[in-house]
Amino acid sequence: MAKAFFIDTTLCTACRACQVACKQWHDLPAEETQNLGTHQNPPDLSDKTYKLVRMNERVIDGQLRWLFFPEQCRHCIEAPCLEALGDPAAIYRDPDTGAILYTRQTAQYDADAIIESCPYNIPRKGADGSVYKCDMCNDRVHNGLLPACVQACPTGAMNFGERDAMLEMANQRLAVVKAKYPQAMLLDPEYVSVIYLAAFPPENYHEFAIASRTPVGVTRHMALRKMVRPFAAALSRLG
Amino acid sequence: MDVSRRKFIQISGATAAGVAVSHLGFDLRPVKAHAQMLKTQYAKETTTICCYCGVGCGAIVHTSRRGDGRVINIEGDPEHVINRGALCSKGSALKQLTENTNRLTEPMYRAPGASEWRQVSWDWAIDQIARRVKETRDAAFEVKNDKGQTVNRTTAIASVGSAAMDNEECWLYQALLRAMGLVYVEHQARI
Repeated sequence: MAKAFFIDTTLCTACRACQVACKQWHDLPAEETQNLGTHQNPPDLSDKTYKLVRMNERVIDGQLRWLFFPEQCRHCIEAPCLEALGDPAAIYRDPDTGAILYTRQTAQYDADAIIESCPYNIPRKGADGSVYKCDMCNDRVHNGLLPACVQACPTGAMNFGERDAMLEMANQRLAVVKAKYPQAMLLDPEYVSVIYLAAFPPENYHEFAIASRTPVGVTRHMALRKMVRPFAAALSRLG
Repeated sequence: MDVSRRKFIQISGATAAGVAVSHLGFDLRPVKAHAQMLKTQYAKETTTICCYCGVGCGAIVHTSRRGDGRVINIEGDPEHVINRGALCSKGSALKQLTENTNRLTEPMYRAPGASEWRQVSWDWAIDQIARRVKETRDAAFEVKNDKGQTVNRTTAIASVGSAAMDNEECWLYQALLRAMGLVYVEHQARI
Protein backbone atom coordinates (compact mmCIF):
# COMPACT_ATOMS: atom_id res chain seq x y z
CA MET A 1 0.00 0.00 0.00
CA ALA A 2 1.47 3.31 -1.09
CA LYS A 3 2.44 5.81 1.57
CA ALA A 4 1.95 9.56 1.52
CA PHE A 5 2.94 12.71 3.38
CA PHE A 6 0.51 15.41 4.38
CA ILE A 7 2.25 18.72 5.06
CA ASP A 8 0.07 21.41 6.62
CA THR A 9 1.95 24.65 5.97
CA THR A 10 -0.48 26.56 8.21
CA LEU A 11 1.01 24.70 11.21
CA CYS A 12 4.65 25.14 10.12
CA THR A 13 6.69 27.52 12.28
CA ALA A 14 9.85 27.16 10.16
CA CYS A 15 11.81 25.72 13.09
CA ARG A 16 13.64 23.59 10.49
CA ALA A 17 13.67 20.50 12.68
CA CYS A 18 12.70 18.50 9.57
CA GLN A 19 15.60 19.94 7.62
CA VAL A 20 18.14 19.11 10.33
CA ALA A 21 16.64 15.68 11.10
CA CYS A 22 16.93 14.83 7.40
CA LYS A 23 20.62 15.79 7.36
CA GLN A 24 21.21 13.92 10.58
CA TRP A 25 19.65 10.65 9.44
CA HIS A 26 21.34 10.74 6.03
CA ASP A 27 24.72 11.78 7.49
CA LEU A 28 24.90 14.77 5.17
CA PRO A 29 27.51 17.46 5.82
CA ALA A 30 26.89 21.13 6.52
CA GLU A 31 27.08 23.65 3.71
CA GLU A 32 29.10 26.83 3.91
CA THR A 33 26.64 29.67 3.36
CA GLN A 34 26.50 33.43 3.74
CA ASN A 35 23.90 35.76 5.18
CA LEU A 36 21.50 36.58 2.36
CA GLY A 37 19.06 38.53 4.52
CA THR A 38 16.72 35.59 5.06
CA HIS A 39 16.46 32.79 7.57
CA GLN A 40 16.13 30.38 4.63
CA ASN A 41 19.44 28.61 4.78
CA PRO A 42 21.01 27.04 2.80
CA PRO A 43 19.49 29.02 -0.08
CA ASP A 44 18.53 25.99 -2.18
CA LEU A 45 18.29 22.21 -2.23
CA SER A 46 21.53 20.43 -3.06
CA ASP A 47 23.19 17.02 -3.05
CA LYS A 48 23.77 17.70 0.66
CA THR A 49 20.31 19.13 1.46
CA TYR A 50 17.30 16.99 0.51
CA LYS A 51 14.83 18.94 2.59
CA LEU A 52 14.60 22.74 2.76
CA VAL A 53 12.19 25.06 4.53
CA ARG A 54 11.56 27.87 2.06
CA MET A 55 10.60 31.21 3.59
CA ASN A 56 8.92 34.10 1.80
CA GLU A 57 7.59 37.44 2.95
CA ARG A 58 4.48 38.40 0.98
CA VAL A 59 1.95 41.20 1.31
CA ILE A 60 -1.44 39.58 0.70
CA ASP A 61 -4.59 41.72 0.92
CA GLY A 62 -2.62 44.48 2.60
CA GLN A 63 -1.22 42.23 5.31
CA LEU A 64 2.34 40.98 5.66
CA ARG A 65 2.54 37.19 5.66
CA TRP A 66 5.64 35.15 6.38
CA LEU A 67 5.07 31.94 4.44
CA PHE A 68 6.91 28.68 5.13
CA PHE A 69 7.20 25.80 2.71
CA PRO A 70 9.04 22.67 3.88
CA GLU A 71 10.09 21.49 0.44
CA GLN A 72 11.06 17.96 -0.59
CA CYS A 73 10.61 15.43 -3.39
CA ARG A 74 6.89 14.80 -4.03
CA HIS A 75 7.37 11.11 -4.94
CA CYS A 76 4.98 11.57 -7.87
CA ILE A 77 2.50 8.76 -8.48
CA GLU A 78 3.53 8.80 -12.17
CA ALA A 79 6.97 10.26 -11.78
CA PRO A 80 8.16 12.19 -14.87
CA CYS A 81 11.83 11.67 -13.93
CA LEU A 82 11.37 7.92 -13.77
CA GLU A 83 9.27 7.73 -16.92
CA ALA A 84 11.55 10.00 -18.91
CA LEU A 85 14.77 8.22 -17.97
CA GLY A 86 13.42 4.70 -18.34
CA ASP A 87 16.26 2.91 -16.54
CA PRO A 88 15.15 1.13 -13.36
CA ALA A 89 18.79 0.70 -12.36
CA ALA A 90 19.04 4.49 -11.99
CA ILE A 91 15.55 5.62 -10.98
CA TYR A 92 12.92 3.21 -9.70
CA ARG A 93 9.78 3.11 -7.66
CA ASP A 94 9.51 1.01 -4.52
CA PRO A 95 6.19 -0.77 -5.08
CA ASP A 96 5.65 -1.18 -1.33
CA THR A 97 5.96 2.45 -0.29
CA GLY A 98 5.64 4.39 -3.54
CA ALA A 99 9.03 6.05 -2.93
CA ILE A 100 10.82 7.24 -6.07
CA LEU A 101 14.45 6.28 -5.51
CA TYR A 102 17.64 7.39 -7.26
CA THR A 103 20.75 5.23 -7.36
CA ARG A 104 24.40 5.95 -8.16
CA GLN A 105 23.59 4.76 -11.70
CA THR A 106 22.10 8.20 -12.34
CA ALA A 107 25.72 9.24 -12.92
CA GLN A 108 25.51 7.41 -16.28
CA TYR A 109 23.00 9.98 -17.54
CA ASP A 110 22.80 13.70 -18.15
CA ALA A 111 22.02 15.11 -14.69
CA ASP A 112 20.60 18.32 -16.15
CA ALA A 113 18.08 16.34 -18.20
CA ILE A 114 16.91 14.46 -15.09
CA ILE A 115 16.59 17.73 -13.18
CA GLU A 116 14.73 19.35 -16.07
CA SER A 117 12.21 16.52 -16.18
CA CYS A 118 11.09 17.23 -12.61
CA PRO A 119 7.95 19.40 -12.48
CA TYR A 120 8.93 20.53 -8.98
CA ASN A 121 12.64 21.23 -9.64
CA ILE A 122 13.84 18.92 -6.85
CA PRO A 123 16.82 16.73 -7.91
CA ARG A 124 20.35 18.12 -7.64
CA LYS A 125 23.62 16.96 -9.16
CA GLY A 126 26.36 15.82 -6.82
CA ALA A 127 30.12 16.12 -7.17
CA ASP A 128 30.31 12.46 -8.27
CA GLY A 129 27.94 13.14 -11.19
CA SER A 130 24.99 11.23 -9.77
CA VAL A 131 21.73 12.88 -8.84
CA TYR A 132 20.44 13.25 -5.30
CA LYS A 133 17.12 13.95 -3.61
CA CYS A 134 14.80 12.87 -0.78
CA ASP A 135 14.42 9.07 -0.51
CA MET A 136 11.31 9.13 1.74
CA CYS A 137 13.58 7.56 4.41
CA ASN A 138 12.63 4.31 2.69
CA ASP A 139 14.85 2.34 5.08
CA ARG A 140 13.01 3.75 8.10
CA VAL A 141 9.58 3.24 6.53
CA HIS A 142 10.36 -0.42 5.78
CA ASN A 143 11.27 -0.87 9.44
CA GLY A 144 8.11 0.68 10.80
CA LEU A 145 9.59 4.08 11.62
CA LEU A 146 8.39 7.47 10.43
CA PRO A 147 10.59 9.42 7.99
CA ALA A 148 13.10 11.47 10.00
CA CYS A 149 11.48 14.78 9.03
CA VAL A 150 8.00 13.67 10.10
CA GLN A 151 9.15 12.23 13.41
CA ALA A 152 11.04 15.42 14.28
CA CYS A 153 8.19 17.85 13.51
CA PRO A 154 7.05 19.40 16.83
CA THR A 155 3.90 21.12 15.50
CA GLY A 156 2.15 18.36 13.58
CA ALA A 157 2.69 20.12 10.24
CA MET A 158 4.40 17.01 8.84
CA ASN A 159 2.38 13.79 8.71
CA PHE A 160 3.00 10.39 7.14
CA GLY A 161 0.95 7.25 6.64
CA GLU A 162 -1.20 5.31 4.22
CA ARG A 163 -2.25 7.41 1.25
CA ASP A 164 -5.97 7.09 1.97
CA ALA A 165 -5.53 8.21 5.57
CA MET A 166 -3.36 11.16 4.54
CA LEU A 167 -5.87 12.29 1.91
CA GLU A 168 -8.63 12.10 4.48
CA MET A 169 -6.58 14.10 6.96
CA ALA A 170 -5.74 16.65 4.24
CA ASN A 171 -9.38 17.17 3.31
CA GLN A 172 -10.43 17.48 6.94
CA ARG A 173 -7.74 20.08 7.63
CA LEU A 174 -8.61 21.93 4.41
CA ALA A 175 -12.22 22.30 5.57
CA VAL A 176 -11.05 23.69 8.92
CA VAL A 177 -8.41 26.01 7.47
CA LYS A 178 -10.76 27.42 4.82
CA ALA A 179 -12.80 29.11 7.54
CA LYS A 180 -9.79 31.33 8.28
CA TYR A 181 -8.10 31.30 4.86
CA PRO A 182 -10.79 31.11 2.10
CA GLN A 183 -8.09 30.70 -0.60
CA ALA A 184 -6.63 27.60 1.06
CA MET A 185 -6.01 24.61 -1.21
CA LEU A 186 -4.27 21.25 -1.47
CA LEU A 187 -1.39 21.26 -3.96
CA ASP A 188 -1.65 18.62 -6.72
CA PRO A 189 -3.11 16.00 -4.33
CA GLU A 190 -4.09 13.58 -7.11
CA TYR A 191 -0.60 13.47 -8.66
CA VAL A 192 1.83 13.29 -5.77
CA SER A 193 2.60 11.42 -2.56
CA VAL A 194 3.54 14.60 -0.71
CA ILE A 195 0.37 16.62 -0.30
CA TYR A 196 0.74 20.23 0.81
CA LEU A 197 -1.98 22.36 2.32
CA ALA A 198 -1.37 26.03 1.46
CA ALA A 199 -3.31 28.92 2.98
CA PHE A 200 -2.66 31.23 0.03
CA PRO A 201 -2.21 30.77 -3.75
CA PRO A 202 0.82 28.50 -4.20
CA GLU A 203 2.97 30.95 -6.21
CA ASN A 204 3.42 32.91 -2.98
CA TYR A 205 5.32 30.00 -1.44
CA HIS A 206 7.63 28.91 -4.22
CA GLU A 207 7.90 29.06 -7.99
CA PHE A 208 7.59 25.27 -8.18
CA ALA A 209 5.08 24.71 -5.38
CA ILE A 210 2.64 23.19 -7.88
CA ALA A 211 3.37 21.49 -11.19
CA SER A 212 1.51 23.69 -13.63
CA ARG A 213 3.36 26.97 -13.06
CA THR A 214 6.13 26.73 -15.61
CA PRO A 215 6.77 24.94 -18.88
CA VAL A 216 8.61 21.70 -18.44
CA GLY A 217 12.02 21.27 -20.00
CA VAL A 218 12.33 17.90 -21.67
CA THR A 219 15.38 17.69 -23.88
CA ARG A 220 15.07 16.13 -27.32
CA HIS A 221 17.34 13.37 -26.16
CA MET A 222 15.07 12.50 -23.22
CA ALA A 223 11.94 12.68 -25.40
CA LEU A 224 13.51 10.40 -27.96
CA ARG A 225 14.63 7.87 -25.35
CA LYS A 226 11.10 7.83 -24.03
CA MET A 227 9.60 7.20 -27.48
CA VAL A 228 11.87 4.34 -28.50
CA ARG A 229 12.08 2.70 -25.08
CA PRO A 230 9.10 0.29 -25.46
CA PHE A 231 10.45 -1.02 -28.77
CA ALA A 232 13.97 -1.36 -27.44
CA ALA A 233 12.70 -3.30 -24.46
CA ALA A 234 10.63 -5.60 -26.65
CA LEU A 235 13.52 -6.19 -29.06
CA SER A 236 15.95 -6.99 -26.28
CA ARG A 237 13.55 -9.63 -24.99
CA LEU A 238 13.15 -11.20 -28.44
CA GLY A 239 16.89 -11.13 -29.03
CA MET B 1 8.80 20.97 -25.86
CA ASP B 2 6.18 23.43 -24.78
CA VAL B 3 3.84 21.59 -22.46
CA SER B 4 2.89 22.66 -18.99
CA ARG B 5 4.33 20.62 -16.19
CA ARG B 6 0.90 19.37 -15.22
CA LYS B 7 0.27 18.18 -18.77
CA PHE B 8 3.60 16.43 -18.69
CA ILE B 9 2.50 14.37 -15.74
CA GLN B 10 -0.54 13.28 -17.73
CA ILE B 11 1.59 12.44 -20.77
CA SER B 12 3.98 10.35 -18.71
CA GLY B 13 1.01 8.50 -17.24
CA ALA B 14 -0.22 7.62 -20.71
CA THR B 15 3.27 6.54 -21.74
CA ALA B 16 3.49 4.29 -18.70
CA ALA B 17 0.29 2.56 -19.80
CA GLY B 18 1.74 2.15 -23.30
CA VAL B 19 4.89 0.62 -21.90
CA ALA B 20 2.87 -1.87 -19.87
CA VAL B 21 1.03 -3.06 -22.99
CA SER B 22 4.15 -3.30 -25.12
CA HIS B 23 5.95 -5.65 -22.77
CA LEU B 24 4.31 -8.75 -24.20
CA GLY B 25 3.19 -9.88 -20.81
CA PHE B 26 6.52 -9.39 -19.03
CA ASP B 27 6.52 -7.35 -15.88
CA LEU B 28 9.39 -4.93 -16.15
CA ARG B 29 9.01 -3.48 -12.67
CA PRO B 30 12.42 -3.65 -11.08
CA VAL B 31 12.80 -6.84 -9.09
CA LYS B 32 14.78 -5.61 -6.14
CA ALA B 33 15.27 -6.73 -2.61
CA HIS B 34 13.51 -3.96 -0.77
CA ALA B 35 14.36 -5.21 2.69
CA GLN B 36 16.35 -2.22 3.85
CA MET B 37 18.63 -2.29 6.84
CA LEU B 38 18.68 0.65 9.23
CA LYS B 39 22.02 2.22 10.08
CA THR B 40 20.95 1.72 13.70
CA GLN B 41 20.22 -2.01 13.24
CA TYR B 42 22.99 -3.30 15.52
CA ALA B 43 23.47 -0.17 17.62
CA LYS B 44 23.07 0.09 21.35
CA GLU B 45 20.10 2.24 22.39
CA THR B 46 20.29 4.61 25.37
CA THR B 47 17.75 7.23 26.38
CA THR B 48 18.73 10.76 27.33
CA ILE B 49 17.28 14.21 27.87
CA CYS B 50 18.08 16.98 25.39
CA CYS B 51 20.50 19.43 26.97
CA TYR B 52 19.52 22.56 25.09
CA CYS B 53 16.52 24.12 26.83
CA GLY B 54 14.10 23.77 29.72
CA VAL B 55 11.47 21.74 27.84
CA GLY B 56 13.34 18.49 28.54
CA CYS B 57 12.64 16.47 25.40
CA GLY B 58 13.53 12.78 25.49
CA ALA B 59 15.89 11.38 22.89
CA ILE B 60 17.30 7.99 21.91
CA VAL B 61 21.06 7.74 21.37
CA HIS B 62 22.31 4.98 19.07
CA THR B 63 25.95 4.09 19.69
CA SER B 64 28.21 1.66 17.91
CA ARG B 65 28.87 -1.72 19.50
CA ARG B 66 32.13 -2.06 17.60
CA GLY B 67 34.12 -0.96 20.61
CA ASP B 68 34.66 2.68 19.73
CA GLY B 69 31.20 3.53 21.10
CA ARG B 70 30.78 6.44 18.68
CA VAL B 71 27.34 7.95 18.20
CA ILE B 72 25.56 6.77 15.04
CA ASN B 73 22.26 8.57 15.47
CA ILE B 74 20.27 10.64 17.97
CA GLU B 75 16.57 11.16 17.45
CA GLY B 76 13.45 12.00 19.45
CA ASP B 77 12.08 9.26 21.70
CA PRO B 78 8.55 8.44 20.51
CA GLU B 79 7.71 7.04 23.95
CA HIS B 80 8.77 10.16 25.84
CA VAL B 81 5.82 11.91 27.43
CA ILE B 82 7.01 15.44 26.72
CA ASN B 83 7.95 15.39 23.06
CA ARG B 84 6.56 12.07 21.75
CA GLY B 85 9.37 11.72 19.23
CA ALA B 86 9.55 15.33 18.09
CA LEU B 87 12.62 17.56 18.43
CA CYS B 88 13.40 21.10 17.31
CA SER B 89 16.24 21.91 14.92
CA LYS B 90 18.78 22.15 17.76
CA GLY B 91 17.63 18.89 19.30
CA SER B 92 17.72 17.22 15.91
CA ALA B 93 21.41 18.17 15.68
CA LEU B 94 22.34 16.62 19.07
CA LYS B 95 24.67 14.11 17.42
CA GLN B 96 27.04 16.94 16.59
CA LEU B 97 27.85 17.37 20.26
CA THR B 98 30.21 14.45 19.77
CA GLU B 99 30.38 13.64 16.05
CA ASN B 100 31.64 16.85 14.50
CA THR B 101 35.01 17.60 12.96
CA ASN B 102 34.74 21.23 14.10
CA ARG B 103 34.69 20.23 17.76
CA LEU B 104 37.52 21.36 19.99
CA THR B 105 39.18 18.30 21.49
CA GLU B 106 41.97 20.06 23.38
CA PRO B 107 41.68 22.87 25.94
CA MET B 108 42.37 26.37 24.60
CA TYR B 109 43.76 29.24 26.65
CA ARG B 110 43.65 32.98 26.06
CA ALA B 111 45.81 34.85 28.52
CA PRO B 112 44.61 38.17 29.99
CA GLY B 113 45.13 40.88 27.36
CA ALA B 114 46.03 38.41 24.64
CA SER B 115 44.14 38.37 21.35
CA GLU B 116 44.96 34.82 20.33
CA TRP B 117 43.92 31.47 21.72
CA ARG B 118 46.59 28.84 22.17
CA GLN B 119 46.33 25.13 22.75
CA VAL B 120 47.40 23.93 26.19
CA SER B 121 47.61 20.54 27.87
CA TRP B 122 44.80 19.11 29.96
CA ASP B 123 47.15 18.86 32.96
CA TRP B 124 48.10 22.52 32.74
CA ALA B 125 44.50 23.67 32.21
CA ILE B 126 43.00 21.68 35.08
CA ASP B 127 45.81 22.73 37.39
CA GLN B 128 45.29 26.40 36.45
CA ILE B 129 41.51 26.22 36.91
CA ALA B 130 41.87 24.57 40.34
CA ARG B 131 44.53 27.04 41.41
CA ARG B 132 42.56 30.14 40.36
CA VAL B 133 39.24 28.91 41.73
CA LYS B 134 40.90 28.16 45.08
CA GLU B 135 42.70 31.51 45.23
CA THR B 136 39.59 33.53 44.29
CA ARG B 137 37.32 31.58 46.61
CA ASP B 138 39.64 31.82 49.59
CA ALA B 139 40.13 35.57 49.06
CA ALA B 140 36.41 36.35 48.73
CA PHE B 141 34.71 33.75 50.91
CA GLU B 142 32.03 35.12 53.26
CA VAL B 143 31.10 33.04 56.29
CA LYS B 144 28.54 35.56 57.58
CA ASN B 145 26.68 38.42 55.89
CA ASP B 146 26.18 42.00 57.22
CA LYS B 147 23.34 40.86 59.47
CA GLY B 148 25.51 38.17 61.02
CA GLN B 149 23.66 35.31 59.33
CA THR B 150 25.71 32.29 58.23
CA VAL B 151 25.94 32.26 54.41
CA ASN B 152 29.18 30.40 53.53
CA ARG B 153 29.31 31.86 50.03
CA THR B 154 31.51 33.49 47.46
CA THR B 155 30.15 36.13 45.10
CA ALA B 156 33.50 36.49 43.29
CA ILE B 157 32.92 33.53 40.97
CA ALA B 158 29.99 32.92 38.63
CA SER B 159 29.15 29.97 36.40
CA VAL B 160 27.38 30.64 33.12
CA GLY B 161 26.76 28.15 30.31
CA SER B 162 27.18 24.38 30.28
CA ALA B 163 24.75 24.14 27.36
CA ALA B 164 26.14 20.84 26.13
CA MET B 165 25.81 19.00 29.44
CA ASP B 166 23.04 16.50 29.98
CA ASN B 167 20.82 16.29 33.04
CA GLU B 168 23.11 14.11 35.15
CA GLU B 169 26.24 16.06 34.31
CA CYS B 170 24.45 19.27 35.28
CA TRP B 171 23.52 17.81 38.66
CA LEU B 172 27.12 16.87 39.38
CA TYR B 173 28.36 20.24 38.18
CA GLN B 174 25.97 22.34 40.24
CA ALA B 175 26.63 20.16 43.32
CA LEU B 176 30.33 20.99 42.93
CA LEU B 177 29.58 24.70 42.53
CA ARG B 178 27.27 24.81 45.56
CA ALA B 179 29.86 22.97 47.63
CA MET B 180 32.35 25.71 46.79
CA GLY B 181 29.84 28.36 47.85
CA LEU B 182 28.87 29.81 44.47
CA VAL B 183 25.51 31.54 44.33
CA TYR B 184 25.66 32.85 40.78
CA VAL B 185 24.92 29.59 38.95
CA GLU B 186 23.23 29.95 35.58
CA HIS B 187 22.48 27.47 32.84
CA GLN B 188 21.46 27.54 29.19
CA ALA B 189 18.19 25.78 30.04
CA ARG B 190 16.98 28.89 31.92
CA ILE B 191 17.75 31.31 29.11
